[in-house]
Amino acid sequence: MSGLNGTLSIALSALAASQEAMTTTSNNVANANTPGYSREVADLAAAAPVEYGSLTYGTGVVLAKIESLRNPILEIQLNQETQQQSMLNSSLGQLQQLQTQFSSATSGIGADISNFFNSLQQLSTDPTNLALRQSVLTAAGNMATDFNTTAENLQTQSANIDQSVVQSVGEVNTLTAQIASVDQQISALENAGQNAGTLVDTQTSLIRQLSGLIDVSVIPTDQGITLATSSGTTLVSGGQSFAISTQLGSDGVQHIYAGTEDITNSLTGGSLAGLIQVRDQEIPSLGSRLDQLAAGLADNLNAANQKGYDLNGNAGENLFVAPPTGGTGAAAGLEVSITDPSLIAASSDGTSGSNGNVAVLSAVANQALANGQTPIESYSNLVFQIGSATSNTSADVDASNLILQQLQDERGSVSDVSLDEEAANLVQYQTAYQAAARVVSTVDGLLSDAVNLGIDAAEE
Amino acid sequence: MRVNPNPMPDLLAALNQTELEAQKASLEIASGQSVNEPSDNPVAAALLIENNDQATFNAGYLQSLTSVQGQLSTADSTLSSVETALQRAISLGVEGANGTLSDSDRAAVAEELQGIQTQLVSLANTSYQGHYIFAGTNTNAAPYVADSTAASGVDYAGNTDVNEVSIGNGYKLAVNQPGSQLFSATGNDVFLAINNLVGALQNNNGIGDAVTSLTSASNYLSAQRVFYGNALNQAQSQTTYLDTAKQQIAEQQNTLGGADLATAATNLSQAQTDEQAALSAISKFSQNTLFDYLR
Repeated sequence: MSGLNGTLSIALSALAASQEAMTTTSNNVANANTPGYSREVADLAAAAPVEYGSLTYGTGVVLAKIESLRNPILEIQLNQETQQQSMLNSSLGQLQQLQTQFSSATSGIGADISNFFNSLQQLSTDPTNLALRQSVLTAAGNMATDFNTTAENLQTQSANIDQSVVQSVGEVNTLTAQIASVDQQISALENAGQNAGTLVDTQTSLIRQLSGLIDVSVIPTDQGITLATSSGTTLVSGGQSFAISTQLGSDGVQHIYAGTEDITNSLTGGSLAGLIQVRDQEIPSLGSRLDQLAAGLADNLNAANQKGYDLNGNAGENLFVAPPTGGTGAAAGLEVSITDPSLIAASSDGTSGSNGNVAVLSAVANQALANGQTPIESYSNLVFQIGSATSNTSADVDASNLILQQLQDERGSVSDVSLDEEAANLVQYQTAYQAAARVVSTVDGLLSDAVNLGIDAAEE
Repeated sequence: MRVNPNPMPDLLAALNQTELEAQKASLEIASGQSVNEPSDNPVAAALLIENNDQATFNAGYLQSLTSVQGQLSTADSTLSSVETALQRAISLGVEGANGTLSDSDRAAVAEELQGIQTQLVSLANTSYQGHYIFAGTNTNAAPYVADSTAASGVDYAGNTDVNEVSIGNGYKLAVNQPGSQLFSATGNDVFLAINNLVGALQNNNGIGDAVTSLTSASNYLSAQRVFYGNALNQAQSQTTYLDTAKQQIAEQQNTLGGADLATAATNLSQAQTDEQAALSAISKFSQNTLFDYLR
């Protein structure tokens, strides 16, 4: 096919292709700030040529496809690092909250222990002095109260984390349902040979959000994608989502179930894993160390008080309510059992003026507890534990942030819209359009020359 | 390679980082503490707990020493009065031994000695802040009670126990001498010696021996009084030591957790400069694109 009509047809294809390419550019500019959007490029191709005798003529241009530019490997790495970063970040948030209870060296349990033993020291100088005796009871009461408060705060934080776990599980289910629904649309479009670029962007963005909550990996299949946790729990498959659920366990905290399988301890990424790590590892560990400390102090001081005689010459009784056997709950339940200051067994010989048993009570400060450490060492060690856990996690978060930032940069270099680039493309397509239009106008002139058989238009 | 056309998240992250550092430096300057949370320096945070324990105990020992020194001084000055009284008693005894005295003169001397006996009982029953200091640990009852049937004229109601007070880590100081060891020690009982001297004067028999016994008892008591002098010396030198230790503990506390103001101020100023730079980079970033130049 040749001749003026052929030329006109080629010029029309160029007009159409330039317009479509400009639509792509326009869409890129419009989505320059859309999160998760991958820039599209118009893939122009020469139309199939025709052979005319020994000659081959081109037939113009076609828009072969509109392609979204993204690197699937980068997306996978971004998902993985997002899971890691979210886990560390949610852990860090909880740990920072946790450590505020142990942040002061001059107040709190540590200072209470020091003050209590100091009050005994003062009592030794004047064992019959009721004001000094009362100050021992007050110091013991302060110590018990701070143990109670700290243990309660740990419990409260654990309960708050539980609420977050339930919420996060709900969000996971919402996201997996959305991802499954988008996946069905993508499959439908792709089966019809259509470009599903923007839907894939939506899905990628949803999977990124899901990665913030739970460790998922994406497995491409013939029927869309399959999403599974690293321990093998399927969340989305064949356009269907599978909800996970929470249930209160016998240990008093929410467990996560996939069907009937308890997957609480098999999560390795996402904020859920971070929350569970603090709830099931850090808090119970701190709690049991506090219990051990409270039980050790109460037992040793009770034993010491029983060795002496009170102000009335009677054998000493328990100073604290006896802690539960095994120590569990000792910190929350620590309570001074006497209210009468004369019942402190300061005397070792039964006379009121003897301070001999105060030394026995004071010696508890240097007596090793079950963990081989003195009470103050034990507490200081606990502070080190929470401090170093927080500080290490904080360093890990920083490292993970850098990696994530690096990956996002890489993703941006592949997929983000550059306005300069789009402007250049626009100029290019505009020029092409103008040139094609000029061809149309030229052909138009030629055709009118042919139709009017050379009559000068000016003579009319 | 194609450049990431959107560096804004990087720039914002950098800005966030500088703001974080500025905040941290400001907090250190404002609080005067470099360890505001255990995670700021876990080792220092743990050591600060033990440092506070040491500081509390150091202050506690100093407080105890003030109280102990009061008690020891009272005892020591009481014993000084006792010594003076005993010297007077010995002089009276020597005077009474003079053969030229009449019966009535000796009776007068004996009477004065009985007055001294009463004074000694009162001194031995001295109390400090409501408790008797020469009663052993039986401090709620007067240790010496007059008893005309007893050979010494008094009964000892105290016991032989001694209280110890910690005045340092593992450093214990005995803070009392029981009366049984000071006034009524077997063989050197001052009350018995005076009572015997009174009897000797009244009977004009064995006055010289009685004076010798009293002198011996008085010397024994003086030797025992050294205990209080020593204890006061120990208390004094321990106070000096604890004051020095207090400085060291405070210095250690400052080293562990005090703000390094010079560094913190430098960090703050550095962070502010960085923040300005980041802000300026963000504001200048891509104000223009190619679109601005197309007509």
